[in-house]
Amino acid sequence: MSAAQQQALVLGFICLSAAFMLTAVLALTRVSKFGIFAVANFLLGAALFGTQVVFGFSGWRSEILAASVVELPAVFLISWVCLAQVGGGPNRPSSSPSEPVVRRPWLRGVLGWAPVALLVSWAFAVLVGLAWPSPAMQPYASAPVQFVLFKWPISISQTVYAGLAAAVFAMAAMSRSSAPVLRLRNGAFSISMVSLALVGGESALIAGVRWWVAGQRRREIIDSLLVFETIIAVVCFAFLVFGLTLRYTPVVAAAVLRKVHTGWLPARERLESSVWQAVAGGRTRGVARVTYRVEEAARLAELPQSDTERAVAAIQLIAVMRASSTKGGGVTPDAARELYDMEKEILRDDVLGPKIQAFLRRRADTRNSQSLYAAPLEDALKAALDLTDTHKGEADARARPLWFHLVAVASADAGLIDKGDLWKRFGNGSESSAATEVYRTAKGRLRSQVFGGP
Amino acid sequence: MALDAFRIRVPEAAREFSRLIRGWRENFAGARAGARGDRGFITPENFQEELIVLGLSGRKFGAEDYVSALSDFLGISISVHVIPDAGYPELARRLALSGRLGEIRYSDELGLAAIFVPESLPPLVFDLTVFHELGHLAAGDLLAVEGSGEAAALDRELSAGMFPTTSVRQGKRLARGLPFAVETAREQEANLRASYAFIAGCLGGENPYVHGMYEVL
Repeated sequence: MSAAQQQALVLGFICLSAAFMLTAVLALTRVSKFGIFAVANFLLGAALFGTQVVFGFSGWRSEILAASVVELPAVFLISWVCLAQVGGGPNRPSSSPSEPVVRRPWLRGVLGWAPVALLVSWAFAVLVGLAWPSPAMQPYASAPVQFVLFKWPISISQTVYAGLAAAVFAMAAMSRSSAPVLRLRNGAFSISMVSLALVGGESALIAGVRWWVAGQRRREIIDSLLVFETIIAVVCFAFLVFGLTLRYTPVVAAAVLRKVHTGWLPARERLESSVWQAVAGGRTRGVARVTYRVEEAARLAELPQSDTERAVAAIQLIAVMRASSTKGGGVTPDAARELYDMEKEILRDDVLGPKIQAFLRRRADTRNSQSLYAAPLEDALKAALDLTDTHKGEADARARPLWFHLVAVASADAGLIDKGDLWKRFGNGSESSAATEVYRTAKGRLRSQVFGGP
Repeated sequence: MALDAFRIRVPEAAREFSRLIRGWRENFAGARAGARGDRGFITPENFQEELIVLGLSGRKFGAEDYVSALSDFLGISISVHVIPDAGYPELARRLALSGRLGEIRYSDELGLAAIFVPESLPPLVFDLTVFHELGHLAAGDLLAVEGSGEAAALDRELSAGMFPTTSVRQGKRLARGLPFAVETAREQEANLRASYAFIAGCLGGENPYVHGMYEVL
């Protein structure tokens, strides 16, 4: 077996091991398109190196062809990685580039050209090699300058693009806004790509040594470089596989966020703006008056602020839903029910719910008013839907809090819901009587304040 | 059975290949940035890209921070004028009855954009309204050349949520794609931008799209 065949055997074995390791990793973690591509690419590499080992190839043109074909897996790998970094690869969910590329727009053009540049360099090298053949598969033999012209375009283009890809991964690994596991993952990919760049550089160096250095010294240098190439190839594959084992799990699921972006947030905005337009625009007659009464009643009954906010929000929601059924526009009970279901689901999310609530609360505090809108709408919506649901004719046996009964009494007082129906469904109970009593007192007090004047 | 699998996989592979080529063409040929054509709505990933450009990615931010970052990027002065209607019920009533939550006015020559929003709006609606108007600025909607010959195409919604785009006047915009030619599509995209901005501002570093930008392979 020649030295070239021995080196091909080692590299083929590394490719095959990497393919098996990667298959095991993919089976245990997550199958990605890049993972499948990498396995196929490593198998291709192993097959090409295996062909070299088996057939040996005699004749300079055959050697050129064999030496250039084994470069293809590296060309494919680097092209895929560069394209993925600019968002053009098929393995990313969107066509957005990676963060370091977005910050440096020039990288987008440079990396986007990688497949073309690498394939053109490869084709140029093959043409040069076939036009002026040289001993491409005899690593210790002295080589003419045309061997350098054959080898350098491939090696240098691979070194440049693998180096660029490594730099982008390194920048991503150093970014503090990235999750720790992704920093580690990008660090591993960066080391892998640096290794690949070094393999390319080393290959170019061997070509130079074969052309420039003579005698025993050449053999010694090439021996050391081949050992170096083997080590670097192992490092490259090992870190690539290690990087693929690391997985990032987002704290908020993308599916939930999609629902927030396209469902919950627009629906809640529509509801709140309808309430604003109805209340501020004076479309809901009598609502402002009963709101004052409910606030006064809540104060007399010493209800917590959050319950008062719920009660006021519920009254306004009932008014908007009623207005939509009589005048059109606004929010229909069906839309409100849909929002209620989404609100329940989204605010139950451990991360998203508290964050949104805290944000709304902070905004309300900043603007020094409107705390009503910072309260969770869930309870108020439920109350409004229960009170306006005319299909429920029977008595509701569930115990309701005092604020709910206050909403019921006030809504009936404003003519938003039917008094008879209300009494039938919610009228039996001490809380209901207490609410009626305190509301009546609050109404009387406010009336006397108006008549009494300052 | 095998034939069925073949029938399913071949078109899938063809689609994947076409996506790969399109993605590559868009990135290396810059087709997305300059040429007119059809495009879909902005995705959260595309919006994240804009936040990176503005320096807001991974940070908690509100409408004021977005205004300031966008103003710096576009090189224009953006001001949000809050109409003090809270103490004037009649003014609030008129604004509410107008049916408009906010409005933007833009001057190319002066390099000025002014957003008008009523003070009495609920906080969520207030923020989303400001983000919505800023979304028009970011998308370059205010630079769109109206009535540039594609009247027939204006009402045409293409397959898979694609809409025709329109040419723009000289001026800077944040979005990579050109603005839509269809008014309703512009409004819809401004709403999407507002939603994305609001949630990104709430979540800060816990926004999964921030980390998605680092997940390359």
